[in-house]
Amino acid sequence: MFDENTIHTLLWLLIVLPFLSGTLSLLAGRRINLWAGGTAAVLTLAGLGLSVFVATQTGPDVLTLRTDWLLIPGRAVPITFRLDALTLLMLVIVHFIALLVQIYSISYLHDERDRYRYFGFLSLFIGSMLGIVLAGNLIVLYAFWELVGLSSYLLIGFWFQKPAAAAAAKKAFIMNRIGDAGFLLGIFLLLFQSGTTDLAELPDLFVSNGPLATLTGFCLFCGCIGKSAQFPLTTWLPDAMEGPTPVSALIHAATMVAAGIFLLARIHFLLTPDALLLITIVGTITMLMAAYSALYQTDIKKVLAYSTVSQLGLMVIGMGTSNVTGALFHLTTHAFFKAGLFLAAGSVIHGVHSQDMRQMGGLRKAMPLTFIGWAVCAAALAGVPFFSGFLSKETILTGAFDWAGAQGGLAYVIPILAVLSSGLTACYMARQGRLVFFGDARNPENRAHESDRLLTVPVLMLAVLSIGFVFAGNPFSAAQGWFFRLFPAVDNHGGHLWIALLSISVVAVGLWLGWRMPVLTQSTAMSRLSEHNWYLDGFYKRLLVRPFVRLAYLSYGFDRRVIDKLVDFAGIGTVVLAHMIGWADRMIVDGLVNGASWLTHRLGNLTRSVQNGRVQSYIASAVVGLLVILWFLI
Amino acid sequence: MLSSLLFIPLLGSLLVVLLPDSRKNVYKWITLVACSLELLVCGAIYAAFDPTQADYQLLERFDWISLPLGSLGVVSIDYLVGIDGISLPLVLLTGAVMLVGALSSWTIDKRLKAYHALYLLLTATIIGCFIALDFFLFFLFFEFMLLPMYFLIGLWGGPRREYASIKFFLYTLAGSVLILLVMISLYLSVMDPVETAINIGLIGDRSEITDDIIRQVQFLLADYKIQSQQLVHTFDLRYMAHGGNYLPDSFLGPTGEIIVFGLPSRMLAFLCVFLGFAIKLPVVPFHTWLPDAHVEAPTPVSVVLAGVLLKIGGYGFLRIGWGLFPDGAAEYALLLAGLGVISIVYGGFNALAQSDLKKMIAYSSVSHMGFVLLGIASLTSEGVNGAVYQMASHGVLSAMLFLLTGVLYDRTHDRRIDSYRGLASTMPAYTALTAIAFFASLGLPGFSGFVGELFTLMGSFQSLWLPGWMTAVATLGIILAAAYFLWTLQRMFFGPLWSRTEFTGQLTDLTARERLMLIPLAVLALLLGLFPNLLFNLSNATIAQWIQRFSVE
Repeated sequence: MFDENTIHTLLWLLIVLPFLSGTLSLLAGRRINLWAGGTAAVLTLAGLGLSVFVATQTGPDVLTLRTDWLLIPGRAVPITFRLDALTLLMLVIVHFIALLVQIYSISYLHDERDRYRYFGFLSLFIGSMLGIVLAGNLIVLYAFWELVGLSSYLLIGFWFQKPAAAAAAKKAFIMNRIGDAGFLLGIFLLLFQSGTTDLAELPDLFVSNGPLATLTGFCLFCGCIGKSAQFPLTTWLPDAMEGPTPVSALIHAATMVAAGIFLLARIHFLLTPDALLLITIVGTITMLMAAYSALYQTDIKKVLAYSTVSQLGLMVIGMGTSNVTGALFHLTTHAFFKAGLFLAAGSVIHGVHSQDMRQMGGLRKAMPLTFIGWAVCAAALAGVPFFSGFLSKETILTGAFDWAGAQGGLAYVIPILAVLSSGLTACYMARQGRLVFFGDARNPENRAHESDRLLTVPVLMLAVLSIGFVFAGNPFSAAQGWFFRLFPAVDNHGGHLWIALLSISVVAVGLWLGWRMPVLTQSTAMSRLSEHNWYLDGFYKRLLVRPFVRLAYLSYGFDRRVIDKLVDFAGIGTVVLAHMIGWADRMIVDGLVNGASWLTHRLGNLTRSVQNGRVQSYIASAVVGLLVILWFLI
Repeated sequence: MLSSLLFIPLLGSLLVVLLPDSRKNVYKWITLVACSLELLVCGAIYAAFDPTQADYQLLERFDWISLPLGSLGVVSIDYLVGIDGISLPLVLLTGAVMLVGALSSWTIDKRLKAYHALYLLLTATIIGCFIALDFFLFFLFFEFMLLPMYFLIGLWGGPRREYASIKFFLYTLAGSVLILLVMISLYLSVMDPVETAINIGLIGDRSEITDDIIRQVQFLLADYKIQSQQLVHTFDLRYMAHGGNYLPDSFLGPTGEIIVFGLPSRMLAFLCVFLGFAIKLPVVPFHTWLPDAHVEAPTPVSVVLAGVLLKIGGYGFLRIGWGLFPDGAAEYALLLAGLGVISIVYGGFNALAQSDLKKMIAYSSVSHMGFVLLGIASLTSEGVNGAVYQMASHGVLSAMLFLLTGVLYDRTHDRRIDSYRGLASTMPAYTALTAIAFFASLGLPGFSGFVGELFTLMGSFQSLWLPGWMTAVATLGIILAAAYFLWTLQRMFFGPLWSRTEFTGQLTDLTARERLMLIPLAVLALLLGLFPNLLFNLSNATIAQWIQRFSVE
């Protein structure tokens, strides 16, 4: 057992290393193109080793690490890191999938001129993601949360010359920001109520009761809505597929989008029943809508993207029904099989140079390894027994039915819709398999060939990890598996046979329907609704984006025409007033002065005329004067 | 030591004026050397400053004007400079920004003598504002600053420079008239306890002063025991901030019940000061001089304007508005915070609507300075610390943003956003630095903007004076910031390379001089963002004491 200081140093190293390697890679520029991928992968491997090592060295206790970052009177914001079972799980998942993705990318992007940039951004992402999972208080978590958003932005927009990629990157960041604004308010509400955001102190200080607590929970959930693409902020994730496919696998399927679920697991104890209900409803809406949207997509990656949204919805249902372990279990299994699916899709795209599934077909012969990898992962996603996805999905569904049983009545809508969505999942995956790997090649120009080992080995490794026995010996229940020993469920959801049977039959029907879906579907109102993702994008554009931009122009118009005009008017008014005063000055003040001089002049003339030098008139005046005086005297 | 901050640029300015025109390529070196020396002295001041002390430090004081006016008492104006935790960050910022501005001034190619002389004069007056502790001295610098600024915009500016400079001048002048009125009223209401003590014979010399004597004089004053001939009036801000130094029944006395225009006189005075500095900050709706001034000003002047000049508004709030009239600040907290929120949101919306890069950044400044007002108005430790921090952070980032605009303008003389597309392909270093500046400005953690916004928002939310929804509306500002910065980034830098044909070949990447200006600023923003205590340690003690006058018993 190492002493605590060593562990602390190792933890710091764990976070700082990726940032350091990312920054160095970005600063070094193209000259390290050749080395960037390899070095980054080695560092990730070291990180993986480190986290496994830390895992073996620390007991079941929570390890915390605290450094003062910011101190002002009355408020301290420390940097705290926290190492517990959940962190360790995430550390391993993030490192492991990142490692596979980096190895995969070395081959996938070997023609790229800016590989240093790609691997640099990827390292930044890994560092920020590790920051999220290690964060010991919500402010630190929020900081890394935003940084993850940045790396997502940079990687979606990696091919910035493509206008669609640049637009998608911007959209992702802004939609995430909207969720994050709510998240930030939630943090403020927490601070306001309990004076801390520390995950270790909160359980004692936060009173999870009353409408304010519900509001707090909902605001914090807003962060999850943004990052995990829950309804109504779903639309950025399908667009994010403009990024390189390995990025989609790592960030937009396995790790970053799962950060929202991770957040819910962290703050689950402070969510009130009302908040949980709301969360469950949002998760259900998301799951169903996205599953339907995946149904008619023609782009191989878009199907998987909508599927990711849908599965995230399922995890949110798990969280909302207080089935934290189940949701985390699904997060884990999903991370492996969805990353595997994306990497398999990347391998296909690499082979046929197209993302349109209508151009594919019959690839199972040309790309057997990719096909096997894909098939295993797809079976896991669809929820076929003996595969990992089946186990985790069953856990959530069981929890949801139990929850509905406790709530009674209308609450059964939730698990029923979830089962229905899982049928849709099976359906679109069967359709994808049929379109891509079976039948004849529809585009004869495609000379598809199997990808090299750097591409296929990661896919196959992920496929192996998608087999049910990895997680539990019992093929129908994971309750006895290692995962549930690591994360003991609060109330053990004992398996119900009827739920397993129900979902297996729904999946079977879904698979059969999906297999039978025609290659070229006729465009109907139903299919268009799916293809356009319920017209959410158009809806937002018309209802939010345009009015928002119009408001911006309006306010600028107001600024120029009203406020500025008032200022100008005041200026002009002053000048006019000055001219008026000038006129008054000339006419009245000057006029008075001139008038006075004129009057004096006249008076002078008058008096002068009296003194005219003639004696007769003097005598006359004197006599008149005398008479007047006499008159008054008498 | 502080005085050298004033005399270095003044001497530099004089030297530029005295050197003959034939030596005109020396001018820029003089400016650069003077500004570098200035920054060095700032460093020395930073080292000499004791952050655990809340009071003014490094004081330098000389009697300047002393004039007995019979029954009106004695006029006393001092040369008094000093710094505390509120002004030091801004002094350091000024040192850094003025140096960067000096480097950026190398592209100025006409009327060099006048330009450099005025630039150095401007440096001195700005620094003067931050270190003056005598209201009269402060006001002198505050007014005098307009002169170089007016000419710098009016002579070296863009096509509408006359309009912009006169607008700037008149706007600010209107604000200063209000400040002047309050200054005179304050002067008539406040005594200098030290000089008065000497005058009434309590002590013989300044050195004998103790707190007890000051208290004694204040008691005498309150009991009407001091004859008006013996009273020494003062402009000293230290004395103005203390209620005991106010004459009983005077116009602005803390207990005075004088009503003017339906408002208590102190409330009216507070509003006048607020308005005076609100124009400078600027606060919506007194902001329209800013976009015009920025668009017309040459790059270095924009850098100085956004980087430090606006901060004088925020500094004036803290030192004079809130510092001398805490009662007014508490009374109007809601109104002021409301104006702050309006500035944040309104500035953000306007920034979104701009097609001129420089104007977009100018409006983003309005939005970011709104956070400063919101933080100060919250009257909380988080809010006020955050506001000081936000000022420093915005100083660094806006300087960087305007320099970046200047880079493009120097090459093509076109700042319209839609004249460019896909610049990232030909100007990678420029794009990288722009992206850093944009993300830092929109509050990305790791850079300084995040801390300022986090703390001002946190303060406004915790504030007892403000309702919670106000903070909620203010967070719209951080969404808007993401929208206008990223939209600009997308339009100008991403997509396939395209620009108007006459620019072909002109879009070259950053030169060494440009890198020398931009990279230190980026590093500074990163350093402040990673280690915010660098700044908070300086301001903590002072603000802790400052905030006490608002603590609710």
